[in-house]
Amino acid sequence: MSTKKDSSNKLQGKDLMNVGIYSAIYFVIVFAVAMLGYIPIMMPMLCVLVPLIAGVPFMLFLTKVKKFGMIWIMSIIMGILMLLTGMAQYALIIGAFSGLIAELIYKSGNYKSQSKAVLTCGVFSIWVWGNFIPLFFKRESYWAARQSFGEDYINTLNSLMPIWLCPILLAAAFVFGILGGLLGKTLLKKHFKKAGIA
Amino acid sequence: MEVLSSRKQRRGIGLDPRTTIVLLLMVAVFVLGGAGGNELIWARIILACVPVVLLLTSNNKLKCIVFVLVYLLGYFLQFYVLGHLTGILNSLMLATAGMITSFLPGLMMGYYAVSTTTVSEFVAAMERIHMPEQVIIPLSVMFRFFPTVVEEAGSINDAMRMRGIAMGGKHPGKMLEYRLIPIMTCSVKIGEELSAASLTRGLGAPVKRTNICKIGFGLWDILFLGLSICIVIYWVLILIGVRV
Repeated sequence: MSTKKDSSNKLQGKDLMNVGIYSAIYFVIVFAVAMLGYIPIMMPMLCVLVPLIAGVPFMLFLTKVKKFGMIWIMSIIMGILMLLTGMAQYALIIGAFSGLIAELIYKSGNYKSQSKAVLTCGVFSIWVWGNFIPLFFKRESYWAARQSFGEDYINTLNSLMPIWLCPILLAAAFVFGILGGLLGKTLLKKHFKKAGIA
Repeated sequence: MEVLSSRKQRRGIGLDPRTTIVLLLMVAVFVLGGAGGNELIWARIILACVPVVLLLTSNNKLKCIVFVLVYLLGYFLQFYVLGHLTGILNSLMLATAGMITSFLPGLMMGYYAVSTTTVSEFVAAMERIHMPEQVIIPLSVMFRFFPTVVEEAGSINDAMRMRGIAMGGKHPGKMLEYRLIPIMTCSVKIGEELSAASLTRGLGAPVKRTNICKIGFGLWDILFLGLSICIVIYWVLILIGVRV
């Protein structure tokens, strides 16, 4: 009976629960890494560190993805969570597109291809960059709400993030997403296959 | 009537989950995200007070008092202590205090939402606003699952400290591997069991689910929703350039 269920292309309760479980793991790891943004110099580095480390849980998630929509839903959920944690709506908008593209890439490999999986991980990671958009384009209003962080912090951060850094961070999120995917693949082979969960 | 009173006893004001979500969004967008800039400072102050009121009327008075004390401490630091420190210490303290004061209202609202809304109520409310199942199930699983992941992370942290693999050790890569992998492994295992348990109880069955939770808008809901609508209207007016 279960094989019959799996063969249908519609998302079942179990698939949706998997999305929830892996989103929770992914978000906790992202959140722990993002705490480093407290140190000004680490802020732009988040575009490097978050995709790199979060690639590991994401690659594990991809081993469970067999139907259309799971990656996209996870991307949108990340956007909703960013909205709820006060990072504004940009990650949601970016994530809705990058998630769909990531989904289509993984689908083109029939949800099996390992090289496509790594590429998917790179595209999916672009939502991280969405959080930086207000820092570049809406600087005044972004800092208006954060005056209490202190002049020093604001000035340091502004000088650390000139406008030309914006496309570089986008590229960094993508490239380090791919590296994170490769890292995840290695760790998957090393640990999770043995433990029987990948 | 009995149902109503028991609900009130348990949750104080007893907001509808939909109102809680709206308020959570409002606090996130205006207090944390700082939408509207300087002209909406009054809205920010009102919204920052909302979670205090909600927590005080619920069963979490002690937590509320702790939150308020921490908030006041942050404020106190900003105004009185900072002039007396210099250099890097000063800016570090200022950033810490600033972050405490700006994140705490959101944290309190989030705490209120998670601690007073049961998963069933959340699902009932989401179904009432016709949210697709594809979003409801992952979200409800997630909120059920966050505490588990954090708890597991704590236990693994203890275990690793016992083995002498502490944070800030010599091998950051290895340290990361020794924490990340165990957390993921046990979270996935627990998740699989959770998913099996809910499937046994009929989640994902091809019929429409029923729900025994009674949700609905009361006086307080109307009050808070009205407040939120006023703020949003004012914000939109500012955005399209009308001076009020």
